[in-house]
Amino acid sequence: MSNAYVTDFRVPSTTESAALLNEDWLAVILGLFIFVLGLAALVHVDLIGWVVSTSVWTNLGQALGPASKGYAALGGIGALIATYVALTLVLTAGAAALKSDVKRFALAFTAVFWIAYASWIVGNYAHFAAVTPAEQQKFGISWSLKLTNEGAYIFALIAGLIIANFLPRFATVIKDAVRPELYIKVAIVILGGFFAVTAAGKLSLASSLILRGVAAIVEAYLIYWAVVYFIARKWFGFSREWAAPLASGISICGVSAAIATGGAIRSRPIVPVLVSSLVVVFAVTEVLILPFVAQTWLAHEPLVAGAWMGLAVKTDGAAVAAGGITESLILAKNAAEGVHYQPGWILGTAATIKVFIDIFIGIWAFVLGYIWTNHINVTPASNKAKAREIWQRFPKFIIGFVVTFIVGLYLALGTPAEIAKNVPAAIGEANTFRVIFFILTFFSIGVLSNFRALWRKGFGKLAAVYVTSLFGFVVWVGLLISWIFFHGITPPLAS
Amino acid sequence: MYDYQELIMSQYTESDLREELRTARVEPLLPIEKKLIAWSLSLGLTLLVVLAAINHFFPVTL
Repeated sequence: MSNAYVTDFRVPSTTESAALLNEDWLAVILGLFIFVLGLAALVHVDLIGWVVSTSVWTNLGQALGPASKGYAALGGIGALIATYVALTLVLTAGAAALKSDVKRFALAFTAVFWIAYASWIVGNYAHFAAVTPAEQQKFGISWSLKLTNEGAYIFALIAGLIIANFLPRFATVIKDAVRPELYIKVAIVILGGFFAVTAAGKLSLASSLILRGVAAIVEAYLIYWAVVYFIARKWFGFSREWAAPLASGISICGVSAAIATGGAIRSRPIVPVLVSSLVVVFAVTEVLILPFVAQTWLAHEPLVAGAWMGLAVKTDGAAVAAGGITESLILAKNAAEGVHYQPGWILGTAATIKVFIDIFIGIWAFVLGYIWTNHINVTPASNKAKAREIWQRFPKFIIGFVVTFIVGLYLALGTPAEIAKNVPAAIGEANTFRVIFFILTFFSIGVLSNFRALWRKGFGKLAAVYVTSLFGFVVWVGLLISWIFFHGITPPLAS
Repeated sequence: MYDYQELIMSQYTESDLREELRTARVEPLLPIEKKLIAWSLSLGLTLLVVLAAINHFFPVTL
């Protein structure tokens, strides 16, 4: 195996290595910043109520509005502009901290925001999003695709796919702001607080779900990885250098796992980069298919569906976002049957499963690095895997998720009633930003998914391993394990 | 990160990569790889059985 001994793939370029912080820490800071601003509402200071929120519409003039009634004077367009300006300022400051080109980022983000949000608005059109007969009656329409309002994420994804595959030059122009990993990590940090408020109502159920997340770790690292590595090596004849990042990408958590593994086994940087491209393309395919499959066959097993998204869909962004779409579709189907589940549980289950899996990336990369540098490619002592790499590869945004979860739980359960009653609304405003970061994630994933370029590079064999493993094994074993550990558990009914 | 990806990609031509993937010689599984696969699967299946038993005897409480 011809390895260029790259010590850490995640130390990218000279500019970024001189940056003040990395994308993970930036996501923690941004997520906590928004979360804390939202909490100001607990002391009756509404700092982010101006954030734009979109409702299902037939009259475009009524689609948009600020999240808080206190900012009603802004109107929908005012709220949208305020949201754009605030996000541009904050994210451009983040780009500056990452030593990116600030001007290019701001311009690119402008395009990303407006196209992504426009797609979201289109997806909320009543003929696409209205679900129940009552909603159809309310909007005066006779038919609807029943995609729900969160199904509008698919519209952002499709907009991104169109740009990637039909306007590749434009995709290059906006690439500075096409950062799905950053956007989803910010969203996950905010989601911690939202999930805490949801969990506070049924703490015993939430703790039971979290305990069952352990099964996901076992499945991803010990079952999936071993089988996919075997398939890649034995059936498809891939070298160890290709097979290990490929197995991690398909089994664990897509992009970050492939990159961590590539660094750990000292592969050439090109290997995890190509695997990552493949992961994103297949994640898109999964997001477009699995939530609808779940709605069709798992509508009465909502938490099985949520856990399945966390286990089967690769990359954090796609998995958590697929959990969001699945929740929306399943809640809508149940609502049409007269059963109204509390929102947040399906998405929370998917996110918890994914976060549990992410926690062990550093440890698994260290195990592989130890085996590779000591037994397979015996390297000089200075380049052997070291325990400190576990921390270096630990996805730091998980710290943000845990912090917002604990703070949210404390505020909901440990504070006087007059404060606790305001917690859902305060975190709800921050959650509106979470939705916007989801939209940006979907759009960005689409822009990165250039199917034709991937095919041109001759990755048919890599894709064959992916298809065989994902659709022949990972998806179905994920469903089986989700069924074993989550069947029969339903979210609490909405009060 | 994506600038870096482009930098890495630019160092390899498409035909280089295609050729490498097409002509790569088969590396037989080493004993350490077989051991890694076998241990992972054995440990994983054992833990899943244990967790399933715990799940059965300590069901979710609502």
